[in-house]
Amino acid sequence: MLAMALKELRQLARDRRTVAMMIVLPVVLLVVFGYAARFDIDKVPTIVAGPAADEAASNLPSRMDVIATHPEWGRDQAIDALRRAQATVVVIADPQHPAVLVDGANLFGAQSVLRALAANPSLPKAEVLFNPDLATSFVMVPALMGLVLVFIGTIVTSLGVVRERQSGTLEQLAVMPFRPRDVFLGKVLPYFGVAIVDLVIVVVAGLWIFGVPFSGAPWIFAIGALLFLFVALGMGVLISTVSQNQGQAIQLAMMTLLPQILLSGMIFPLDSMAIGVRWIGYLLPLTYFVQIARGVMIRAAPFDALLVPMGMLLLLGVIVFGLSVLRFQRDLAPSGTGSRHRRSEAEASA
Amino acid sequence: MSQMATMAVSRRFGAEYAVREVAMAVEPGEVVGLLGANGAGKTTLIRLALGLLRPTAGTVTLFGSPPSRDTRRRLGYVPQSLGLYEDLTVAENLAFAARAFGHRVVAARLDPEIRASARVLVRDLSLGLRRRVAFAAALAHDPELLVLDEPTSGVEPLARARLWETVRAGAERGAGVLATTHHMSEASECDRLVVMVSGRVVASGSAAAIMGGMQTVVVTAVRWEDAFAALDDRGLPVALVGRRLRIPDRPAADVDAALRGAEVEARLEVVPATFEEAFVALARQKVA
Repeated sequence: MLAMALKELRQLARDRRTVAMMIVLPVVLLVVFGYAARFDIDKVPTIVAGPAADEAASNLPSRMDVIATHPEWGRDQAIDALRRAQATVVVIADPQHPAVLVDGANLFGAQSVLRALAANPSLPKAEVLFNPDLATSFVMVPALMGLVLVFIGTIVTSLGVVRERQSGTLEQLAVMPFRPRDVFLGKVLPYFGVAIVDLVIVVVAGLWIFGVPFSGAPWIFAIGALLFLFVALGMGVLISTVSQNQGQAIQLAMMTLLPQILLSGMIFPLDSMAIGVRWIGYLLPLTYFVQIARGVMIRAAPFDALLVPMGMLLLLGVIVFGLSVLRFQRDLAPSGTGSRHRRSEAEASA
Repeated sequence: MSQMATMAVSRRFGAEYAVREVAMAVEPGEVVGLLGANGAGKTTLIRLALGLLRPTAGTVTLFGSPPSRDTRRRLGYVPQSLGLYEDLTVAENLAFAARAFGHRVVAARLDPEIRASARVLVRDLSLGLRRRVAFAAALAHDPELLVLDEPTSGVEPLARARLWETVRAGAERGAGVLATTHHMSEASECDRLVVMVSGRVVASGSAAAIMGGMQTVVVTAVRWEDAFAALDDRGLPVALVGRRLRIPDRPAADVDAALRGAEVEARLEVVPATFEEAFVALARQKVA
């Protein structure tokens, strides 16, 4: 038994990725997620509208963080601001028709506001828009759709490409008259197609089983989903180009998946996270897909209101896809400089 | 014009040279055998020739040009791992390879056994048949240069002979063939041999030219154990084959003197060396 344990320990010591995963990752996870795993939102972004906006702004509970006052706004502008996620609450300080409108798509923000308002009876009763019952499924299902796409796009794609390397067929492809981009696109497109089919299934299942609304324009959702797939597939290919086998690919893919689940705002609201951890969330593609999916499906957000998350997905896609194409070319382009794995293969076979 | 040529090509990994200043060529219709033990640099040389590795020094040309997408259209390659998709059928693998080169599979040109296995997954085939499928895939577009890395590795003798028939047929159609092997018995299948030791070419030419009339002293002794010890003590390259001892590339007089010195009675006979013995002798010279 001792011999077996010693052998195992030696193998483990040489597998730097696993050692890092076993020692460094738990510490990182504990620290990062310790700051992220909070449901309480201390400050809820609030806009105060109506003729008495300036006066009302100074009398709101401290939890309601006034980010702007618009005395000229009426109810329609207030709803539009919520639809565009410019704030979580709009207080309409109109002596004729006072109102507090709350964005129900921002579940934890809305709950926080409702608690604050309950303790302050001088304010009008809150009206929750988009998700009046504050149903958890309404906000979770759009985010879970993103998670499914990450799973298909990143994990399955990374396995598909690394399988070529493991079986030795990648070398065969490199001596066939393919351009690297032919191989790259030929590998990625089928996964892209499957992921789109998956997306349709997940959306239909989400609407049918959980009764989640689809209030916005499907084409806006489709653009967001395609951009998100662009990043997810790029991450899959990038992972496959730095992995020698399927085990390593899964390890790496899981390391990208976990932060996306916990730091994208899918479960814990971004507003409740410490600023440093929140910035990690801003680098993750799922963060932006969650904003797009919730925006379109629940709030019926217009396209121009989602330009920032769309743009961020495009930027991330270009970076990740660009890197994966470069790495892929190193594996495939003839006479390229030897990559580390190719060198080790050559050394082994020389 | 050579199908493939290297000029003083070297490839280094860190401080170690896997291939050092190798100059060689493969002409149309010629079968060139690249011989060497494991680690001699054969596979690295092939990868350089295919353009999968960039030389540290020297040049590689395929059909007179540096390796490129255009030159790749004209070559067929069977790697050691065969490069087949095990989860696809034989027909699917052949169709993919043919389409990659802009061709279609011509069933009539296929070996009947391959045709019969068209719908079988590659992973369910014997290794010998898998290799033949890999050959068929590499030959489907009538390549002008066929590069084979250990083409008969792990294949039983009959299947090995059939594979060499396929290689020969390709050469007869005018293709140059470069094949690595560490089976010395396959040297006779090649028109020309290039012998590599520690990354360098130590001999090149026909098998007869490489052996250069090398002879082996065969020792028959009742006390063969004593004879072996006596020869080994004198530093002679002795090998036991059955109950006879073989000492290649050494004068019979040296062998006789060693045995007499140890007072071992033996009968000596001088015979032509085998190719394996010539190869080992070349390797020893290189190491020395």
